[in-house]
Amino acid sequence: MSTDGRGPQKSACFPCHLRIGGMSAARILLWLAAITIVSFAIGFGLLALSGGFPPSPDQGFSPFRHTALLVPNTTSIPLDGASAGDLQITLGAGELSVQGGAPDAMLIETTVFSQSPVWQPDLVQIVNNSRKSVTITDKGHKGKALFAVDSPNSWEIRISDNVPVRLDVNVGGGDSQLNLGTLNLETISVHTGAGDTTIDLGGYRGGRFDAAIKNGVGDLTLRIPGSSNTRILVHQGIGDITADGFVQHEGTYVTPGFNSSLAVNEITLNQGVGSLSLEII
Amino acid sequence: MLQTEEEYTRILRGRLEGTLPGEELNDIISDYSDHFRIGKSDGRSEEELYRSLGSPEDVAREIRATHLVKKAEDDKTCGNIFHAVLATLGLGLFNLVFVLVPFIILVLLLLVVFVVGILFTVLGPVALVYSLLQILGIPAFAIWQSPVAGVFFSIGITTLGLLFVIGDYYLARFFYHIGIRYLKWNIGVITGTERVA
Repeated sequence: MSTDGRGPQKSACFPCHLRIGGMSAARILLWLAAITIVSFAIGFGLLALSGGFPPSPDQGFSPFRHTALLVPNTTSIPLDGASAGDLQITLGAGELSVQGGAPDAMLIETTVFSQSPVWQPDLVQIVNNSRKSVTITDKGHKGKALFAVDSPNSWEIRISDNVPVRLDVNVGGGDSQLNLGTLNLETISVHTGAGDTTIDLGGYRGGRFDAAIKNGVGDLTLRIPGSSNTRILVHQGIGDITADGFVQHEGTYVTPGFNSSLAVNEITLNQGVGSLSLEII
Repeated sequence: MLQTEEEYTRILRGRLEGTLPGEELNDIISDYSDHFRIGKSDGRSEEELYRSLGSPEDVAREIRATHLVKKAEDDKTCGNIFHAVLATLGLGLFNLVFVLVPFIILVLLLLVVFVVGILFTVLGPVALVYSLLQILGIPAFAIWQSPVAGVFFSIGITTLGLLFVIGDYYLARFFYHIGIRYLKWNIGVITGTERVA
């Protein structure tokens, strides 16, 4: 039998002979590879320079913002004539960001990033005389348990800079970033289970406040303006403590120029397991 | 059923018509007729010669598979390789495992690479637009940790997508080449010729 007949090599290699602007396919491929490598190298380089890399390699890294692919839901809660606010925030698991900058006439503005509307927290607001109380509570996602490890749930909460507030934050697991320097605080209560917590009071110009901070497992960073009259009572469990710039007396740390006869910001800090960093800024 | 030369060539022709060109089919039938003629001149009966050649259905399947693999080798098209694979499957049920499964896996692999390449090629420019709008300060488009880095990542994603698409073509050609060699080896092992010309 004979099956030697050679058919036409009609699809032998079209791109091999492809020429664009005088360049062969191989040259085009090399250019594409070079552009790809250089682009990613520059991108990662810029991220590294801008501090976009995570502090430790075991944390996930993405050039995208962690909330980029989630559905945001923003809710604004007005002051309703109140001149002070009580805020209670309870997040089971997720990332929490609290800062100033709520729009005028609003006590708070919340943006919740999650994968499903049913994961939105419960919001309860009550006006009592001149105070308005707002409670934001993570409902706990029964369906989420299947995806608990990686289920993104991120809250960004902006609080009014114009009224004094009592702030009560409870986070079960996850990182918390509290930038409170622009707020006018009466009391702060922060209770976190597991995760890193940063409380930044840089630039604080509000009234005197008392704070109680309890951190279970994870690193805690507390930034205090050097010009403030602040005393921190520390109960440290397991972990290092750094307190550059503070004046230490046994378990108490005070800001430079501390004067107990003046109004004092009292902070009680209970750290379980993890490093504790007290910073003067 | 009579085991005669006429019956043998009739079955063979019937099984191969439509697959092989007329001239090539006539050559094959002529070869088998010669075999019968020479055998009969040596004093062997038609029935004996019939049995010695093996079932005409099996012979037709082997010839068909060999022809289609050769055709796929000479004329590289999706249709030809598909027909070659189908013809090879007909040589034995075990080829469902040794031919069909690898074939499906390779096709899926090529498809995935192609789809990912197209996605990257399309999403890269979209991400670039987002980067530029983020640089302009529009919060709704703030998907990147660093929008300037996002510009370069977007370019990289686009060119990576193009590389995937073009690379997929070369990967397909490579798999095609390897696949033909494998099919020839497979036919050779089954028919006992080891190497199919």
